[in-house]
Amino acid sequence: MSGLEISDIRARFGHAEVLRGIDCRVAAGETVVLFGPSGAGKTTLLRAIAGVEPAASGVVRIDGREVQDLEPEHRPLGMAFQNFSLYPHLSAYENIASPLRARRLRSQEIEVRVRRVAELLRIGHVLGHIPRELSNGQKQRTALARALVAEPPVLLLDDPLRNVDAKLRYEMRLELPPLLRKTGAAVIFVTQDFREAMALADRVVVLREGAVLQDAPAEEVYEAPASVPVAQLFGDPPMNLLSAHLVPEGNRVRAEAAGMAPSFADLDITHLERPFLGVRPEDVLLASRPAGGAHAEILAVTPLHDRCVLLLRAADGTELVASVTGAAPEPGTFVSIAGARHAVLFDPVNGHRLAISGARTEVAA
Amino acid sequence: MPEPVIRVLRGGALALILLFFLFPILWILLMSFQTNADILRIPPRLGFTPTLSNYVALLSGKLATSSGTLDITFLRNLGNSLLLSVASVAASLVLGVPAAYAFARYRFRLGESIAFTLLSFRFAPPLLVLLPLSLYFQILGLTNTYGGLIWVYQLITLPLILWIVRGYFEDASPDIEHAYRVDGHSWWRTFTRIAIPLARPGIAAAGLLAFIFAWNNFVFALVLASADKQPVTVGALAFVTAAGIQYGQIAAAIVLSILPTLALALYAQRWLVEGLSLGAVKG
Amino acid sequence: MSLVLSKLDKTYKRFGRPPVRAVCGLDLEVRQGEAVALLGSSGCGKTSTLRMIAGFESLSGGAITLAGRRIDPLPPARRGVAMAFEGYALYPPLTVAENIGFALHTTRAERRKASERVRAVAEMLDIGAILHRRPASLSGGQQQRASLARALVRDADLHLLDEPMSQLEPQLRAVLRGRVKAYLGERGFTTVFVTHDQTEAHALADRIAVMEAGVLEQFGSPDELRDRPKNLFVATFFGEPPMNALVGRVKEGAMEIEGGDGRRFSIALPAAATAPEGARLVLGVRPQRIRLGAGALSGTVLSNQWLGDQAHVALACGALRIVAVSLARVAAPSGTALPFAIAPEDMHLFDPESGTALSHRGSCP
Repeated sequence: MSGLEISDIRARFGHAEVLRGIDCRVAAGETVVLFGPSGAGKTTLLRAIAGVEPAASGVVRIDGREVQDLEPEHRPLGMAFQNFSLYPHLSAYENIASPLRARRLRSQEIEVRVRRVAELLRIGHVLGHIPRELSNGQKQRTALARALVAEPPVLLLDDPLRNVDAKLRYEMRLELPPLLRKTGAAVIFVTQDFREAMALADRVVVLREGAVLQDAPAEEVYEAPASVPVAQLFGDPPMNLLSAHLVPEGNRVRAEAAGMAPSFADLDITHLERPFLGVRPEDVLLASRPAGGAHAEILAVTPLHDRCVLLLRAADGTELVASVTGAAPEPGTFVSIAGARHAVLFDPVNGHRLAISGARTEVAA
Repeated sequence: MPEPVIRVLRGGALALILLFFLFPILWILLMSFQTNADILRIPPRLGFTPTLSNYVALLSGKLATSSGTLDITFLRNLGNSLLLSVASVAASLVLGVPAAYAFARYRFRLGESIAFTLLSFRFAPPLLVLLPLSLYFQILGLTNTYGGLIWVYQLITLPLILWIVRGYFEDASPDIEHAYRVDGHSWWRTFTRIAIPLARPGIAAAGLLAFIFAWNNFVFALVLASADKQPVTVGALAFVTAAGIQYGQIAAAIVLSILPTLALALYAQRWLVEGLSLGAVKG
Repeated sequence: MSLVLSKLDKTYKRFGRPPVRAVCGLDLEVRQGEAVALLGSSGCGKTSTLRMIAGFESLSGGAITLAGRRIDPLPPARRGVAMAFEGYALYPPLTVAENIGFALHTTRAERRKASERVRAVAEMLDIGAILHRRPASLSGGQQQRASLARALVRDADLHLLDEPMSQLEPQLRAVLRGRVKAYLGERGFTTVFVTHDQTEAHALADRIAVMEAGVLEQFGSPDELRDRPKNLFVATFFGEPPMNALVGRVKEGAMEIEGGDGRRFSIALPAAATAPEGARLVLGVRPQRIRLGAGALSGTVLSNQWLGDQAHVALACGALRIVAVSLARVAAPSGTALPFAIAPEDMHLFDPESGTALSHRGSCP
């Protein structure tokens, strides 16, 4: 297959298994976002694919050809590092030109291609500067240009937007998808920001402690997380996870927690006790007039751009987070928790997803 | 305490410290322009008529004393010092820089032990090894050869270079080298085009330090070389003559001896201040 | 205890290079019991200001008054200030509990009470389980929480927090921010904290001081900063995505904006905005306020990204790019034309030369 294919990638540092047998396929033209907390092994995985991680083993195939036994310089890929890793003693031009010089292209050809990619990333005017003279945003784009210039079939981008200021980071979130698609390369993009993941990804691979927890399109990871850790990691503020009581209702089951009671179909509840009910803050439905239902006290109100995040204590004492738009209520007042627009049920023992309730399909325009 | 008083006290303390360290050098400088008679006068006099006769004697190679004219081989000694120090440091760099890179970048069995063993050469007093060394030298025919001396000097210069340059390589992020490899360059090109240029300040500092230590070495050259190959450190002994110790010439010899290393240290300051990475790596 | 900074100045002299004015004439007053954030990008002077208040930097000019007395001549220990440092600064040989309780000078009688307080604060920050461990065995996030706990457990005239929650694991942030905000409010602590993260500033602060290049750009509540930014810098600094800023000319009561490719379009200005005919203006409108689906204006969809709980749509109007945010999905794929409207009460007008705000939402600032 064209693109990147990795199987059973393992890495061990001393006694610790940092990567535990990772499998993944990225087709040419596809962008897969590698998502996970620090220490999950994302950078180690990219380094293993690039060949600069001596402790790694496994099979790496690029465009059908096995490359895991080749030195890094013989693997057809481009990489952008988290800390930019630009050559401090060379100009931006020479930094970008480096992969082309390694391929022994003629100077004229190099000039054409370097200038083309620099224009694309809007750094044509700073090519003569050395890295120390560039802003973080310019350094990031220089690193990206260097990865793109030789038009490799595989691109590994290790959280390239992490050290860039918020405004530029947002701009890149809009500009990168069409740019990457145009290169036709198989792209692995690492990030810890779930919105960035959703914006850029064709698929999201959630990595934690060296193992893949879920490999699915971004929306599926958000709406139907495969397990409790995925639910906690993907989303900010994170999904509420509450211990629920099960109440059968005909051929459906209600899971009650903190005043919400979404119902689930096709759920086998034999041997199932106190599962976890996952409800995202924006799916917690509140009514301001306590209507004889469950009252919850607002412990704290923390504004979040155009919304408010409320820290609530439900009648049964559990703490949960709800997010509302519009006017911010006062802390110390009470609201009534009316229900959950969308909820996911998880097994309390192994954390796996059991069922989903509700739908989030309103469409505007 | 009010600010100006603190400043005066601080300045005074600094001046005292400076005086303490620089005083011997200043005194020697003064002595080099005095005649032996002036130097030995009791009580010592601050005022004197400066004379260049000491320097003349060194540079012309002829010393007039009360018991006749002696041949001074000072310039030859200076040349020997230069040759031995430069060659030793050069050899150490060629051997030591790649070794330092290997120690910094690769984990191999006994790595730490080997590195520590090499450093331990600095701990051992030279006198400990001198007797066996002089016997070996005689057997190997290395006594009084430049090659032999340069080889022995590695005991002084190589551990220094190894440890300082290794520290610099360890501090430099390996990511920059990885990026160069991923670009498509071979290991060797990465080493020569990226690793070494970025470690230049460290290599310069280590080289300078090694040069100074090699220059100052006394005992190896004393035992393992004879007159025509001796550096200035040993050559100074010649001023202890039958006609008495020629303090003036010793002072002049010392001044001329420390000039090269002093100049080097002042010049290399810049490298030491420059630092690594120059902002190419965030943070 | 209220804190007053008057005409605070800090200049760093550097060897061989021109001096750097880190803080220029800063005037700020923090009311008793208030939480104030110093917000800005790196190098804006916020950390220098905090360190001057704490006593770790000398003042180049100006004065600092706390509860009516001048504290800038005093050494840090005598200022009555509790501080949480960016580098945590935990004492390695002591356990977390000992670190947190370090400054609680206790007699034998008070010791039990002190350890109860330590436990309460630790539970609030979710580190109750690791009180017996030593800093070296903790993760960055845990160390940061211990450092924060140490500052919060003390009763001091002023609490200074330097990037207090930057390393926190993302899934804990929402809940811990809420708890810390509630705690600061309950205890009536006067707090000043430094952050580069708008979300954190929003969440914790009663008022935010936005700084750039050593100058205070605006000091106000999050609502004020969002709804009535004093200048273009504050307006585009705040908000994710940043405010759209369109340059145009006033023509017959409407803003005429150059589309860049010869197209022009008019946006009706609010009646109360008195702007002379022909004047050049910058029109600012927040992405969340753009109404998609119907309206007099139209743009081509450049990208339509669904980010889990909101849609970010980038529209091209000629060479201009406008970003809109909708809380429901938008059924408009890339390349289609999408009508939209900007209501007069959502408009902010700025002077293009100075950046100062001229009118917000139809009325004067």
